[in-house]
Amino acid sequence: MISTQLVLTLSAILFGLGALGVLVRRNAIVVFMCIELMLNAVNLSFVAFARNWADLSGQIAVFFVMVVAAAEAAVGLAIIISVFRASKSIETADASELRA
Amino acid sequence: MVAFAILSVILLVSALGVLFFHNPLHSALSLITNMMGIAAMFALLDAHFLATVQIIVYAGAVMVLVVFVLMLLNIKEEGPRKTTRLFVLSCFVAGGLFMYFGVPIMYNAFAQFPAFNPNFNGSMQTLGKELYTNYIFPFEAASVLIMAAVAGAVMLAKRKFR
Repeated sequence: MISTQLVLTLSAILFGLGALGVLVRRNAIVVFMCIELMLNAVNLSFVAFARNWADLSGQIAVFFVMVVAAAEAAVGLAIIISVFRASKSIETADASELRA
Repeated sequence: MVAFAILSVILLVSALGVLFFHNPLHSALSLITNMMGIAAMFALLDAHFLATVQIIVYAGAVMVLVVFVLMLLNIKEEGPRKTTRLFVLSCFVAGGLFMYFGVPIMYNAFAQFPAFNPNFNGSMQTLGKELYTNYIFPFEAASVLIMAAVAGAVMLAKRKFR
């Protein structure tokens, strides 16, 4: 049997890698992908807890995280496209002005 | 246990790939590998429905959208980052602080972790029953949220005609 502690440790490492990616990368789409990485790590720990306590609430939470992540992907990529149209670049440092 | 070890190696390597590939398209492919690994891990942890949804929604819909936008905008490889010495130093300070404060807390919490409950039924049937009885209102609210998100995305990405 896989112990819950091992899964939680793996999930923590994945979350840390995602957070490091958000800090290090400059391409907005790669930053977006690193956020997805962090969401997946959290989902993994939710599922591990749900199994540990034999309670389905954790899996329900993961389901709603997925729903919100799909909505976030649609809106986030639309924002990236409109930023690219305004400044011809998707470097995060180039999008420091709100003025279109 | 062997499957868990193999899967965690795949997950860690593909997560590092997302971070360190210079070409964003390679990062995206690495992230798809990571999503597939997470789906396999869900199946290993008795979350059958979530494993399916992970592949359909994440590896299917979301990543197709990301790769589509990457190809649409024709993103070039980004140049090497100018890492200042201060940035590297602050990374090590943050990691050291985490090691000092976080790891003992995690160790204590893990030592007195409640016993594993063996009679867990994570099948689609039980999850569906839960979702359509106790969580029916959030479920319907989620559909409204997705509707709003799609409308907002169309409005944002639409060209302005003047």
